[in-house]
Amino acid sequence: METNSLSQLAQLGAGIAIGFGAIGAGLGIGLATKGLMDAVSRQPEVAGKAFGFFLLGAALSEACALYAFVIAFQLLGK
Amino acid sequence: MEHWLYTFSIAGHNFSVNMDTIITMWTAMIALIIFALLATRKLSLVPGKLQAACENILRFFWGTLDTMIPNENRRHVPLIASLFLFILTANLMGQLPLRIIHLKTGELASPTNDINLTSAMAIIVLIYYIGTGIKQKGPKYFLHEFSFTGIVMALVELLEMVTRPLSLAIRLFANIFAGEILVSIALGLSAYFLPLPIMLFEILVAFIQATVFMMLTIAYISSATGEEH
Repeated sequence: METNSLSQLAQLGAGIAIGFGAIGAGLGIGLATKGLMDAVSRQPEVAGKAFGFFLLGAALSEACALYAFVIAFQLLGK
Repeated sequence: MEHWLYTFSIAGHNFSVNMDTIITMWTAMIALIIFALLATRKLSLVPGKLQAACENILRFFWGTLDTMIPNENRRHVPLIASLFLFILTANLMGQLPLRIIHLKTGELASPTNDINLTSAMAIIVLIYYIGTGIKQKGPKYFLHEFSFTGIVMALVELLEMVTRPLSLAIRLFANIFAGEILVSIALGLSAYFLPLPIMLFEILVAFIQATVFMMLTIAYISSATGEEH
């Protein structure tokens, strides 16, 4: 038990890392969706163009969760 | 997830190469080269089907560049187009059933699930936009006005030289890698039908990530050549 406590702590840290990363990405994608809905309800004719920008912004904010995922994966390997 | 490591040593230094990434990367590159050769073989004023399709692809790059870089933007087309087409081909290759080919260790998958490949592309982008900025403005590119704001801006730009390629590389790598892990988790839950929607989503991710990489490259070039730099 004592010998592998470090790796258990690393697994705990991986869970915490991916959890906090997901909070930020979820907030970001929610805000992006809110912006898309606002734009489309105000001007329905820009829907196609706004959706492209929405996908771009969602991918950019999703990347923050994926940085946390990379860190978590590094921790799991410890 | 694991790679097929090939280790060798030159003059006492050990090097290791991810062979599976090299195989899939060259497959993607050869597919693109063959496509380009076929598309430009018989050029005519009245385009055939393939030539018309390629002209539309080129027009897409021209349109994207026109919206973000105001003048002299056509000379960036070679870098932008080859980055986009190569990343798209490489990402989509991950959804092919390449895993039926057995290697000693590791497996054949999308080449962009290796951080070495994506960071190489990110460093190419870094060198390109710094080179473009120097070509446009001369050594003045690195200089700012001597004031508090100018010094802070110079330090921030020094930081950006590291964070920009780092974020470019990790974003592409982590998206593709997370997709593969997601598919393998779905395979573990149920081998039938459950991975299918996730793989369809991965096709969407492949297009989006190629677009994001291209857009960020254009934005960096635009910020290096713009007036307000």
